[in-house]
Amino acid sequence: MTGVHDNAAMTTENHDALLIVLLERVARQDEAALKALYDQCASKLYGLALRVVTQREWAEDVLQEAFLTIWRSAGDYRASLSPPMAWLGLIVRSRGLDMRRRRAADRAHLTQELDDTLSDTLEGDTPDPMDTAQASEQAWALHQCLGQLENKQREVVSLAYVRDLSHSELAQQLRLPLGTVKTWIRRGLDQLRVCMARFA
Amino acid sequence: MNLLQHPELLDRLASHYALGTLRGGARRRFEALAREQAPVRAAALIWQSRLASLNELQTQAAPPAAVWTRINNLVQGDKARATIQAARQAPAAPDAESGVGRWMRSLALWRGLSVTGALATVAAMVIGLGMRHELSSEIASLQTRLQSTPQIAYVAVLSDDKAAASMLVTFDPKSNKLTLQRVGAYQETSDRSLQLWALPPAGGPKSLGVLGSDKLLRLTAGESDVRDVPTLAISLEPKGGVPSETGPTGPVL
Repeated sequence: MTGVHDNAAMTTENHDALLIVLLERVARQDEAALKALYDQCASKLYGLALRVVTQREWAEDVLQEAFLTIWRSAGDYRASLSPPMAWLGLIVRSRGLDMRRRRAADRAHLTQELDDTLSDTLEGDTPDPMDTAQASEQAWALHQCLGQLENKQREVVSLAYVRDLSHSELAQQLRLPLGTVKTWIRRGLDQLRVCMARFA
Repeated sequence: MNLLQHPELLDRLASHYALGTLRGGARRRFEALAREQAPVRAAALIWQSRLASLNELQTQAAPPAAVWTRINNLVQGDKARATIQAARQAPAAPDAESGVGRWMRSLALWRGLSVTGALATVAAMVIGLGMRHELSSEIASLQTRLQSTPQIAYVAVLSDDKAAASMLVTFDPKSNKLTLQRVGAYQETSDRSLQLWALPPAGGPKSLGVLGSDKLLRLTAGESDVRDVPTLAISLEPKGGVPSETGPTGPVL
């Protein structure tokens, strides 16, 4: 695992550097750079959008809005002091959460979302469901620590963050007792705190 | 209780705050503390950036190719608007009518698109503006019109200051017919006319025609007038329009 990680970390560093150069070019309204950035990141970001909004059609709109935001505000990237994928991910999540709020009144989709969410969670039984492809250096630390969590704890923490859900919303969507959700989140975060302190 | 004397509790609260599970009164109290005390703020920021990595650890999925097409069309629209803005500021276009001047419109022209591509563009633009619901009936009528004129080679959507599509411009290279259709509510006053201009990369604006009060205007234009021109613009002129040589005198819309 360590050897793999070292190699991947090298690649990650190069990848971050490539994305930073592309973002700087996009800030100067370089269309070719935007296309290159899209080719590099679209799959990762579309995967995130899907996870936030669950519906393909919405996720496509989210990706589109996010890239327009990137085109218009890539000049702000440098000031964020973030790894490039982290900055891009925040834009996609934020557009996705906007979309969720816009659709919140539309109860017709609730059933489908429940199903999607449940299937998400059941799939969490695979040993390493978090995908480090394209992830920045910073994400590696979190990935290592998440790996120490039980699958269900990891899933609940991940869903709470990505979809900005409260304890009771999580309990409702996952059809779990509120107390169980609270316990999983608390234990999950406690373990992450101890683990992440080693990377601080 | 002073959180700073309880670093573990601070760290725990900060992690719940960043995850989003700290809600209601507890969240507001934490935010108030963070505003007052830099170490509390720092703890929150550290956890926000740590958990932001969750965004990067989600499973990848390839988006359909049409998404890039839509993004690219919107970017071209953005660039066209910037070009028009530059054109409006650069040449001698004394803008006397400041009252009307704030009513500004811009026009982006996408070239060489098939009918399908054109539809995708119109749809993408509308979706991008978050106006899908408001405009869905308009799109339906545009689609009908586009489908009934299969020779269309160029299409442009003129949007008004409320970002609603208000005019559709199409070009049919076979007959060299340029068509302007009103689709929105805008109507100029009776002593004014809308005039369509080509904005070539070099040289001054060239008049393509004047739109009367009708819903529809058909103009004959050489294909080169349209093909070599990245952007079109519409200006508000005295009734009947102004000669091409003088360029737009009224506000470019």
